[in-house]
Amino acid sequence: MLNPLRSEDEAFRVLLFVLALVVVVIAAILILRVFL
Amino acid sequence: MEAASISHGAAPAEHEHHGPPAANRSSRVEPALLGMFLFIISEIMVFGAFFTAYFFIRIAQGNPWPAHGTTLPVGVAGMNTAILVSSSFTVHWAEQGIKKGNHFVLKAGMLTTFLLGCSFLFIQINEYANIGFAPQDAAQQTIFYSLTGLHGAHVFIGLLLLLFVTIRAFRGHYSAEEHRGVEVPGIYWHFVDIMWLVVYTTVYVL
Repeated sequence: MLNPLRSEDEAFRVLLFVLALVVVVIAAILILRVFL
Repeated sequence: MEAASISHGAAPAEHEHHGPPAANRSSRVEPALLGMFLFIISEIMVFGAFFTAYFFIRIAQGNPWPAHGTTLPVGVAGMNTAILVSSSFTVHWAEQGIKKGNHFVLKAGMLTTFLLGCSFLFIQINEYANIGFAPQDAAQQTIFYSLTGLHGAHVFIGLLLLLFVTIRAFRGHYSAEEHRGVEVPGIYWHFVDIMWLVVYTTVYVL
């Protein structure tokens, strides 16, 4: 289990994960806006 | 008592400890990390309160976002997002450097991170100056300034921490064995960065 508060390394990995998640969420909403 | 022990010469190894006994540690997590852990949990709650107000104004009350007659500088804030995300990479680079005992990478990484953070705050202040609305104009404007301002205050605190680390790095502190002082502010900086991604996504993009 990834724990961003265990070390700087893990915090950085969580950042990358959140970054990817944010891109996916924004892309999904922008695509849905076009079709809905 | 002290004089008596001195007169007897060097004490045996088990009596060399001075001062009060070490504090009891019931947690397996290191105290410095545990402190940051609890602090970040409390920070998430603070941001949560502000996000609650934001969603109440926008979703529960159904107000338009942004308010009629106003626009948010999505592009400029997007550039600012890129700057802040870059600074997380540089602080990670600095931390990886000192883990290998490389002081040049530590100094270059910390200085770059600090300057990127300053750029972020500078651009945000300029954004406030040119955005064309004030916090008291409408509920949307209030929560806009509250959320971005709360985050800006965290960037400012993070910059202070980064400044201390940078000064210490240039004074030759930290080593491959002892770099907790870089790691803990680094975790805080990543938290500030992640929180900005959430703020930017909700306030500017969606």
